[in-house]
Amino acid sequence: MKVSDDPGVTLVTHSLGSCIGVAVYDPVVKAGGLLHYMLPESELDANKAKSKPLMFADTGIPILFKSCYKLGAVKGRMIVKLAGGSQVMDASGVFNIGKRNYAALRKIFWRNNVLIDGENIGGTVNRTMWLSIGTGEVTLKVSGQGYKVL
Amino acid sequence: MINIDAIVKSIKKLPPFPTVAKKALKILDDPDASVDKLISIIEYDQAITANVLKLCNSAFYGLMRRVGSLRGGLVVLGNAELKNIILASTTVKFFQQENIGYDVTRGGLWEHAVASAIIARLISERVGESEDPSLFTAALLHDIGKVVLDTFVDRYFEQIIALVNEGDHSFLEAESEMLGIDHAEVGARITESWNFPKDIVRTIRLHHRLEKVSDDDRITPIVYLANIITLSMGIGVGRDGLSYRGEEEVMKRYGLKARDLQEIVVDFYDEYNKVQDVLGLV
Repeated sequence: MKVSDDPGVTLVTHSLGSCIGVAVYDPVVKAGGLLHYMLPESELDANKAKSKPLMFADTGIPILFKSCYKLGAVKGRMIVKLAGGSQVMDASGVFNIGKRNYAALRKIFWRNNVLIDGENIGGTVNRTMWLSIGTGEVTLKVSGQGYKVL
Repeated sequence: MINIDAIVKSIKKLPPFPTVAKKALKILDDPDASVDKLISIIEYDQAITANVLKLCNSAFYGLMRRVGSLRGGLVVLGNAELKNIILASTTVKFFQQENIGYDVTRGGLWEHAVASAIIARLISERVGESEDPSLFTAALLHDIGKVVLDTFVDRYFEQIIALVNEGDHSFLEAESEMLGIDHAEVGARITESWNFPKDIVRTIRLHHRLEKVSDDDRITPIVYLANIITLSMGIGVGRDGLSYRGEEEVMKRYGLKARDLQEIVVDFYDEYNKVQDVLGLV
């Protein structure tokens, strides 16, 4: 996870397969952050939940928001965009960590009244995600499809 | 469809598997071979020597004392580990080549190879199987075919991805349809030309074809699953994305559940952080 209020900075995260990238940005104070979490629920491993909380949706997402608040961001103003959550071609659903990652996030956002302003989720693609702190623009590179602004 | 002769010709153009490594690996398979004999062969290969020392002193092995000589390293490492180091040192250069067809970030194919090898080990431990000596090698090399197929994938990418986007072809199936051969088969032919053991060649050939794997094959299903997990995590994935089939049967075979996959992912990141030295091999 990275957060910044330096307008010259662009945050980036690579290799978003089943993982999900969460970009949050407050346009008033021009501060934001980018989290790349791998798994849905921290109850999977209590030790890891403590030592590497950013790995899980339920422990990582609160840290992302709180870190941005420290930079002056206000929840009501924050623009939230998502990318990732893809999976291999799997009719049975056993390999759908991506889907579970997305479901966990939706649950957390719903409970906390957070709206999603843009998302590029699912499919069988790999993604890279950038957040420009100067403009709040979120750009994606989607495998096989090229670049797009979210 | 292009003439697959062109692809087969470029397999032949690939540099041969280095003699030093081949000799060293052969010695390691001989239980009576001496350390002196092994040293006399690999001390002339700077890359292998440097990598043996680098890895002995890396967090992966977590040794208390610093290893300063090739002899010191060879004494510390077991034969199986030494074999893995020689293989990794020898094959890394193939994976580090720039690729334009699959368009994986530079070094990404190697990251994918190393990650798959680590996950194959973790699966093997989890399902309680003793690690097959060929498992690490097969997992490390499973995508070697991409190195050769890359320029052909680049030339026919639009047609290949169109088939994938229609929804019923995996990337591998689309390769096969457009190019007459897929990266798994190309990889099998490369390792065949290097005179690799048959079980490794077979695993590389079938690493996307679980339905063709025989019941007594102890390596291929693990490499298959390791690859699916590595792909899922998006490690070293290019324009082909995650467009490969994940068959539930492999999970049933080992009695694994979705939760096991998540636990493997957690274990993997611990191991992966330890092997950053392997990713930077010379």
